[in-house]
Amino acid sequence: MLVATSDPALRCIDMESRAFDRRRWRQLPAALALLAPSAIVLGAFIVYPLVKAIFLGRQRCNSTGTRCVDAGWDQYSDTFRSTEFQHALLVTAEFALITVPLGLAFGIGLAVLAHKHLSGVGVFRAIFSSTVATSVAVASLMWLFLLQPSVGVLSNVGWIADAFPVVKQPGLLNDPGTALWSVGLSSVWANLGFTFIIITAGLQSIPDDLYEAAALDGATGTGRFWRITLPLLGPSLLFVLIVLTTRAFQAYGEIDLLTEGGPRPDDSTTTITYLTYGRNSIMATDQGLQATTAVLLFVVLLGLSFLQLWSIGRRVHYGD
Amino acid sequence: MAAERRPTGIRLLGRYGLLLFVAFATLFPIYTTLVAAFKPGDQVLVNPLLPDSFTLEPIMTAWSDGNLGRYLFNSLVVAVVVTVAQVVTSLLSGYAFAMLDFPGRNLAFALFLATLLVPIEATLVVNRRTVDSLDWLNTYQGLAVPFLATAFGTFLIRQALLAVPGELRDAARIDGAGHLAFLRYVALPIIVPTVGALALFSFLSSWNQYLWPNLITTEESMNTVQSGLTLLRRSSIDEPNALMAGTVIAAVPIFVALLLFQRSLVRGLTSGAVKG
Amino acid sequence: MKRAALPSLLMAASLFVAACGSGESAITAGQDDPDDVTTTEPPDQIATGDDTGDETGDETGSTTAPDDTETTDPGAAGGDGDAGGSDDEGATTAPDTAPTEIPLDGYPDCPTGALDDVDAADAPVQITYWHGMTAENEEALQAITEQYNASQDRVVVELQNQGGYLEVIDKYYQSGDNGRPDLVMFPEYGFQQAIDSDTVIPVEVCVRDAGFDTSPIQPSAVQAYSSAGVHWAMPFNVSNPILYFNKQMFEAAGLDPEQPPTTFDELRAMSQQLVDSGVASYGIALDTSIDSGGGWFLEQWFANAGELFVDNGNGRESLPTEVLFDQETGVEIVTFLRDLIDDGLAVNVGDNAGGSDNFLKMADTADPAAMTIGTSAGLGTVINVLGSGLVEGLTPNDVGVGGLPGLAPEQTAIVGGAANFVVAGKDPEITAATWDFVTYLITPEVQSQWAVQTGYLPIVDEAIDLEPLRTTYADDPRFRVAYTQLANSPDDLAHAGPQIGPHRQVRDQTAAALASIFNGGDIESTLTDAAATSDALLQQYIALNG
Repeated sequence: MLVATSDPALRCIDMESRAFDRRRWRQLPAALALLAPSAIVLGAFIVYPLVKAIFLGRQRCNSTGTRCVDAGWDQYSDTFRSTEFQHALLVTAEFALITVPLGLAFGIGLAVLAHKHLSGVGVFRAIFSSTVATSVAVASLMWLFLLQPSVGVLSNVGWIADAFPVVKQPGLLNDPGTALWSVGLSSVWANLGFTFIIITAGLQSIPDDLYEAAALDGATGTGRFWRITLPLLGPSLLFVLIVLTTRAFQAYGEIDLLTEGGPRPDDSTTTITYLTYGRNSIMATDQGLQATTAVLLFVVLLGLSFLQLWSIGRRVHYGD
Repeated sequence: MAAERRPTGIRLLGRYGLLLFVAFATLFPIYTTLVAAFKPGDQVLVNPLLPDSFTLEPIMTAWSDGNLGRYLFNSLVVAVVVTVAQVVTSLLSGYAFAMLDFPGRNLAFALFLATLLVPIEATLVVNRRTVDSLDWLNTYQGLAVPFLATAFGTFLIRQALLAVPGELRDAARIDGAGHLAFLRYVALPIIVPTVGALALFSFLSSWNQYLWPNLITTEESMNTVQSGLTLLRRSSIDEPNALMAGTVIAAVPIFVALLLFQRSLVRGLTSGAVKG
Repeated sequence: MKRAALPSLLMAASLFVAACGSGESAITAGQDDPDDVTTTEPPDQIATGDDTGDETGDETGSTTAPDDTETTDPGAAGGDGDAGGSDDEGATTAPDTAPTEIPLDGYPDCPTGALDDVDAADAPVQITYWHGMTAENEEALQAITEQYNASQDRVVVELQNQGGYLEVIDKYYQSGDNGRPDLVMFPEYGFQQAIDSDTVIPVEVCVRDAGFDTSPIQPSAVQAYSSAGVHWAMPFNVSNPILYFNKQMFEAAGLDPEQPPTTFDELRAMSQQLVDSGVASYGIALDTSIDSGGGWFLEQWFANAGELFVDNGNGRESLPTEVLFDQETGVEIVTFLRDLIDDGLAVNVGDNAGGSDNFLKMADTADPAAMTIGTSAGLGTVINVLGSGLVEGLTPNDVGVGGLPGLAPEQTAIVGGAANFVVAGKDPEITAATWDFVTYLITPEVQSQWAVQTGYLPIVDEAIDLEPLRTTYADDPRFRVAYTQLANSPDDLAHAGPQIGPHRQVRDQTAAALASIFNGGDIESTLTDAAATSDALLQQYIALNG
């Protein structure tokens, strides 16, 4: 996505601009043979299912999918405007608003903190990177055990339960006000290793002489951070931003393991992905409707990608 | 960072203090998990912050009841197959895009990249049907085949190959017959770091798949670690120590692997952030 | 600046979204323009057979692999007398039921005799059984299955735990012919959906083919899984909701621990006494899970009040078109519960995803509840967990059990739990092997053992006279409560329980409505809205399955 637009290939999809070249045609069979494995897999498991899903999304089906009724393209607009989808879209946006800025802030903070010449800093770097080794299931179960209101850690530590009664009644995952934040925090934590590694690598690519020059000009520490560090981290931050946003929009495992889309009746953590595939999903036994929301998720993400590239991509400085 | 003055005294203390605090906060969920995983059932909720008793029983229970060895093996098989396949298919297609000049190349490349815009969730409804109709539910091929190629890998390899010196690339164009040999003996050695990065990235992505294995697995013995943990969560929430023990068992292999491949990991994860 | 861009974009998107919402449920998506609605051939990937114009279950047989169509195609069978693939047993039908028998011509065959052709020494028949049992109940089912496998050499049953009923349902319907198991456990809320899926053989076909005697089975359990006179699924794990209470607290509050509340009024009075005496923070812990307080219990309370939950004879006469839970009885029940909460006598533990939060609230050290309502199938697990010492100061013997208090003075119940469905389209010897296992599961010996380990109630009376259940029922009356409650229930449509196509989705509506009401939402309007959405679900279901 990010990588695509900055590539010259995309800017000249014009085949006619070059003269006919016999050698190019001679290379075609070899090229086809080399491309075939990738093209077949991508075609069969990305392009085909997407196209199929677009048409399946017009249908309403019985549970086995043996009887379907064509409801027309209206089904997309109806579903998009339905209370369930609108709610899921809002929850998804809120989830992204929680996880992306927090993830970026923690990632930058930790990376800058550990980017010092201190003895033993390597240990801290290893610690901060460690959550990259936790899969979504592992991370979510760890947080489930932290937050669960009856058999969880926080609710069984006396002073915590006394100071914050919400951890026990109804529980951070069961309170509509805190559920999404709790899932979001577990997600930020799980992504922390990744963001830390990327931003640290970005920091290391900033040449020291820039700081030296700035120091000679009398720039303070915070001044250097805002004028040098942050702008030159641009590409790394943009990458992290896009990955975190995409992950937020596709979040599923942490919701499945922590809240199952609840608590009711607000369905406070039912994101679009969870609405489509989750437990208790109203779509679960209607493949038509399931396809509709899946395709709508694609459209939303597509729109988001273009918005991101259009509004942010242009302003990022790529270092040399 | 030669320009930065080394902090001294109170500043140094403050910095270490902050580092320690943040490190503690980061490790806290892991710590409580470890504490619980080695406590007997009647102790696990008594003092969840202190490792005041020790037993291997939850680990044993989780290992035997949770079938985790089998799940780890399945995850490993799938991740290795996916990794090897993604590297091979990406090498081939990346080579074609970087080294060959053929009609429609740019269009084809654009189409490849366009597949990156499709979230996996949009394809799963139909992919599940496809895998089902191929009778691939509960099989390694069902878990792996949809992910044997990646446009991201193709892109990475292409970029790396474009950096290969021009004379070498011209040599490839002269003779159309020896592409594979050229790729294997000339190009591959030059781009080994990129391939390593891609391999690690592929392995982690495959290992961490959650929704897909949950969707296509109906036999317990064919669960991956991720879908197996889902099952464990549903069946043993009343045994928190065994649940946490299962979590520990599921996490350990990747922790160990990443300690061994720390440098490749950094390169693998950052390879997406390079300028295109 | 860069970091601010994303939030602002998201906010803009959200506002855009909010401005174009329709306020309608996705359930009605694509439905408002009748001109669009035409029945089409389903897409290739979706079709499980080559013909989708089936009005009845006729096509089930032809959706199977070519090699076994011959033996399972109902068209090849003139009636139950010449069931293809079976031996002479096929001609034997229960003579006493023959005159009033409903013809079963439209259904796939159940060649129960095909197992006799299997050479056990050669290779036993492997069958797969999907279930949703967890904790103690799963272990008990594993033990029974191992006993079965060891008891004979012709059939090997492989258990596949899908993690819960919902997962069983989802994975079953997402699977095509290849992916479905040979035997599947669906809860009562999956009953109508299973019938309409055209993928299961009514056990009545097997019963007649084998000449099996179903008279020892609890009639209510058979009735619950019968539709239009056809017995579809073999009940196995039957449960109903019971009241769990803390005996220590009852004594401390001056209540008789042997006399738990039997009606709503008593429940309220005793809760008051428990709270007033300072023994417990709450009288009772309620929840809004669809498997319990949010759906299942509500249906139970309707039956207890003698009221139908949906129209068309509780859906027992034909597919229901309208839910009735927003009527007077519904308002009365919900108002009672809400008042309990408002007056501090009850606590709502919420979604209760694992089914354990309400029990754990009873074990809470700071703010415990003295009672809760849960499935009788949880009794084995509760006793086991308390025995393991997870909860300090509460031993297995401190838990008392009573019938489900309700509006009526008598405690009655609908058949809950789950039943076993024989999946259609399998090889004859597989179907025969499946049937063999299904009948094994309801033998008195197995039911006796099963009931003791789990808290499910025996569905054959003879099991009560067998060990280990005989001793348990004599020594530990807690296990007997659910059984007595069901045995006392009248034989009427209310107690047959609602039979609803989109049953689970309707429960989702009631669960959301109760959650909203427990949090202070207006009772009547919330129920009315939930009923309207439920009615749309019923209509949608009829449109696709009727």
